[in-house]
Amino acid sequence: MGEKFAQIRMSRRKFLKYAGASALLGLSGCVLPPATPAPVPKKPIRIGASLSLTGTYARTGQDQRNGYELWRKDVNERGGLLGRQVEFVFYDDESKPETGAKLYEKLITEDKVDLVLGPYSSPVTFAASTVTEKYKHPMVATGSAATNIWGRGYRYVFQVYTPDDFYMDGAVIFGAEKGAKTMAIINENTVFAKGAARGATKKAKEVGIQVVFTEEYTRGAPDFSPLLSKIKALNPDILLGGTYLPDSVLITRQAKELDVNPKMFAFSVGPALPDFYKSLSKDAEYIFGASQWEPSLKLPGVKEFVEKYKAAYNAEPGYHAAGGYGGAQILEEAVKKVGSIDLEKIRETLAAMETTTIFGKYKVNEQGLQVVKPSYMTQWQEGKREIVYPKEAATAEPRYPTPPWKERK
Amino acid sequence: MPVESAVTLLQVAIGGVLLGAVYALLACGLNLIFGVMRVINVAHGELMMLGSYTTFWLFFLLGINPLLSLLFSIPLMFLLGMGIQKFLVSRVVKAPELMSLLVTFGISMFILSLALYFWSADFRSVPYFTGSITLGSFAFSRPRVIAFGIAVVITLAVYIFLKKTKLGKAVRATSQSSEVAAICGVDVERIRLLTFGLGSALAAAAGSLLVVIYAVNPSTGQTFILKAFAIIVLGGMGSFLGAFIGALILGLAEAFTSFFFTAQLSEAVAYLLLILVLLFMPSGLLGERE
Repeated sequence: MGEKFAQIRMSRRKFLKYAGASALLGLSGCVLPPATPAPVPKKPIRIGASLSLTGTYARTGQDQRNGYELWRKDVNERGGLLGRQVEFVFYDDESKPETGAKLYEKLITEDKVDLVLGPYSSPVTFAASTVTEKYKHPMVATGSAATNIWGRGYRYVFQVYTPDDFYMDGAVIFGAEKGAKTMAIINENTVFAKGAARGATKKAKEVGIQVVFTEEYTRGAPDFSPLLSKIKALNPDILLGGTYLPDSVLITRQAKELDVNPKMFAFSVGPALPDFYKSLSKDAEYIFGASQWEPSLKLPGVKEFVEKYKAAYNAEPGYHAAGGYGGAQILEEAVKKVGSIDLEKIRETLAAMETTTIFGKYKVNEQGLQVVKPSYMTQWQEGKREIVYPKEAATAEPRYPTPPWKERK
Repeated sequence: MPVESAVTLLQVAIGGVLLGAVYALLACGLNLIFGVMRVINVAHGELMMLGSYTTFWLFFLLGINPLLSLLFSIPLMFLLGMGIQKFLVSRVVKAPELMSLLVTFGISMFILSLALYFWSADFRSVPYFTGSITLGSFAFSRPRVIAFGIAVVITLAVYIFLKKTKLGKAVRATSQSSEVAAICGVDVERIRLLTFGLGSALAAAAGSLLVVIYAVNPSTGQTFILKAFAIIVLGGMGSFLGAFIGALILGLAEAFTSFFFTAQLSEAVAYLLLILVLLFMPSGLLGERE
């Protein structure tokens, strides 16, 4: 019995030896140049990114990925980047900054991608950029508006979005013009939302609006009614939120339930997305949002982008999708200018160049902070998202004041 | 105390109690399953989420009243719960508790991933009842009042079922000691099947009501299951009534923490309660003393 067992083991070992040897032979065969040289297709350029495909930022993270994907399709149809096809390596960071940072480490050290593109959301970018900086990988930080990412002396991260500080400027200035005196500010306690709130507070001081209430809440908070009860007691003219989509929807619903009636609702992310109206229908009317980009903007390539996007995803693109496409365009242009995948040269080019993508203008200061792109204010009117500020891009007149919930149909 | 702030305080309390009742539906189901089987059903939150989506799709595709959709979501999850018990959990009921924890965790991940794949991570809600009913200076949020009413009715019905009917008594007997129950002629396997179905049906009811109050996405179950764990520890592991009381306490505690301190802190209340109860009252409010 024992002897027989040993025999089997012997033969298995032998088998492994032969198998290993033949595998090695096979491999070396591959390395040798083939007898008849065929045109070998150039190795594709691999670009890595982590994106929030699940979790709180999932909706917007997916939009950004769709933008990236559409760009990849376009660039490959045009013959690729530097004559090489573009491939993506995407991972889901579950909307968690710490996961995002780990994934960029993996992309750079394990997957050895040629280039990286930014993740979605400021919190994830904040964490991920520490990794790309460490490996000296230039990152076009597509999905991030938070100013404080660029206050750390980093040299390899470049902003595409309008910085968060300026997000709500339009709403505050407009409110002041209409005679609003008081404002309550609430925000998610993450980098971008904090920045939007900080910017609004600063602007309010400049234009003489008194901030009567401020409070932060955690990501994914389900209940705003105690917070809104406090605001109701103060009855401010403006309720301004540094929000993402889910919280802006909930705040609006619960404000109606508690009959909170400011003259103006304005949220940073949320109202500028089609989903906002889908979730709230008529209750979304009158609500102001800040937008990085709108499909009605007159910039080169926007019309084609909107058409292609609709055809591919059966939905109207929001600004996160356009940002994805535009961010990738910026990287494309920098790589073309350099003419090779030389990370250091690409960094220098990104820092110095000036360009216009379908997403708008791009130019950064010495910190890498976007300096030429404005923010647009939108308002839901009769089920349509109209641009109401600044005036030169406006598609409709802003409606003010917002009627109390009880008087709305 | 000025009248105005007294009014505001009561308003906050109303919000807390209304929310607590929906927590209760979820936690009661979880506790029922734990009581009878000593199985911590980690997938309970996902069953709730499936309830939410049943209501959402019925409303979205067929325009069915979200309250009417309870008639679909409850039996559907009842059957799914029984299926999970019959084919998966029953295999590990007698194994160490870690095994059932792992099995239900696997089920939870499986359902979550499928839901993300098919329905995406979009937040969905059923904007059917909106606004509020005003009584004096108090606003009673319409969706929450309706959810509260239904949650109380369902919880009460299950409570009476457990207390008064023969089958309910068999469930409680199994909960106290499955061996003795078996000796007395209770078909323990069947009771376990029924309990898992019933617990899942309660989760589905919670989900159906939740999608009327909040926006729900596939990961919502995970947020709420953590609250449900805190509630059953607070109310007493295995106690149906305890879970109900614990849920109302958590609802109130969250609302007041958010009001007096900040909304951020209210997120921590569930865990704070959990730690305090474990330290000072390990068997919870109505749990069996060991």
